[in-house]
Amino acid sequence: MSQTPVLTVSNLVKTFPSTDGGVFTAVNNISFTLHHGEILGLLGPNGAGKTSTIQMLLSTLTATSGEVAYFGKNFFKHRSDCLQSVGFASTYVSMPGNFTVMNNLMLHGRLYGLGGRALKKTIEKYLTIFGVLDVGNQNTKTLSAGQKTRVMLVKAFMTQPKIVLLDEPTASLDPDIAYQVRQFIMQQQRELRVSILLTSHNMDEVTEMCDRVLVMQAGSIVADDSPAALAARITATTHTKPTLEDYFLHVARGGKA
Amino acid sequence: MSFSMRRVRAVMLRNIMAELTNFGRLMDAIYWPTIDIMLWGMTSSWLAQSEQQIPNLVLVIMTGLVFWQIVMRASYEISVGLLEEVWSRSFVTLFSTPLSINEWIFGVMLMGVLKTILVLLFGVGIVWAFYTLNIFSFGWMLIPFSFALIMFGWVVGFLGAAVIVYKGDRVSSLPWVFAFLFAPFSAVYYPVALLPNWLQSIALCLPTSYIFEGMRSVIATGEFPVKDFAMSMGLNAVYLTCALMLFRFMFEKSRARGFDRL
Repeated sequence: MSQTPVLTVSNLVKTFPSTDGGVFTAVNNISFTLHHGEILGLLGPNGAGKTSTIQMLLSTLTATSGEVAYFGKNFFKHRSDCLQSVGFASTYVSMPGNFTVMNNLMLHGRLYGLGGRALKKTIEKYLTIFGVLDVGNQNTKTLSAGQKTRVMLVKAFMTQPKIVLLDEPTASLDPDIAYQVRQFIMQQQRELRVSILLTSHNMDEVTEMCDRVLVMQAGSIVADDSPAALAARITATTHTKPTLEDYFLHVARGGKA
Repeated sequence: MSFSMRRVRAVMLRNIMAELTNFGRLMDAIYWPTIDIMLWGMTSSWLAQSEQQIPNLVLVIMTGLVFWQIVMRASYEISVGLLEEVWSRSFVTLFSTPLSINEWIFGVMLMGVLKTILVLLFGVGIVWAFYTLNIFSFGWMLIPFSFALIMFGWVVGFLGAAVIVYKGDRVSSLPWVFAFLFAPFSAVYYPVALLPNWLQSIALCLPTSYIFEGMRSVIATGEFPVKDFAMSMGLNAVYLTCALMLFRFMFEKSRARGFDRL
């Protein structure tokens, strides 16, 4: 992994008006970088600000203040240019249900300026990799949760992005498919030097995949280190070696990061 | 178990609560009857009051019916198109790509034009097939008015979309409500002069009243009413600019709250 930042986040803040008339800070002045060819994990309990952070990196949520730069280019000024190199998948968003999977993916490719037979072949290649080639002609709304998750991963990778943002990429997948998906993501990193920012609640997955982990709590980044180094920060409650999950539970329950 | 009025009351209460909290059901109960009574009441009144024979009466009504569809289609293409993205939870998918809001706006406007051409051809064909009436029997003077109607359809569409992009599917009946809101004041089937004075003031602020008056004038005299057309285009330009500004403002306001909630 090189130390060239492909994504630089500086002093990013997101506040929302709260129901009591005050202000709720969802993301509190966070700064970090994602390096070329790195898999960076974003961990934190529910409501820590992970999804808000990812949404701001896609401009589907406006930042209250702060800056984001992709490849040194100001994202808020050059949104379309920057997103040309960014793929995104989330368990929580979808595609029009009445279109077939293939049509949805073809339309998605066109939004990136792709098209024609080459695009169709690329889509078929990624549908095969993720084991969902057989659903290509099915309406998207008929897919199971696991199939939908894999189609969303095809969507994220088919435009051959340099950066991929993944919001819980293996949620709703069975252990075997989740394993294959993890292998594919790590292969993309190894072979194509794709940089990946991912959120997950699966600590084993984060330990296996991530070079570095950011831990968020109440909107702030409270730790930034390798999974092994984070696990070593706490004393295990059992006689076994502490894991990242032990560390996560420690922080989520209010322990010192 | 005996029949219980308490449970009957619970059912009624449940329906009352659904009625009060559901925008669509409220509209069904109040809005549509009002619009229907106004629109068809005025049309009947015009027909009854006309002492002299109205020339080409059926053609006038059919032209109104067919051309009002243009406003509806151009409008639906924008507002229902947006609503479908919300229903399928694909709004984030769409706007996390390089697609810009201006590209989206331009795309749905062009789709409105295409859909309108199809609907117009279909409508004109149906009128010909069922009533052997040719809407274009007065030449192609109605075509410029078609474009003016598309523009007004865009205005209505973007006004609806401005609310949908912020409120999401809580206002899912809005595209239909908005499209018909302007019908009684647009003098689609009857002249503006038939409306009460205060409604005439509203009608004269709408480009559609000039369009339909102009179209009736084409049917009655065979001459193109330049003034009506110019007024409709001028008003359309102002309203379309305002509608686009409002839509963009609401789009950004919605983005500030996060598209993932849509």
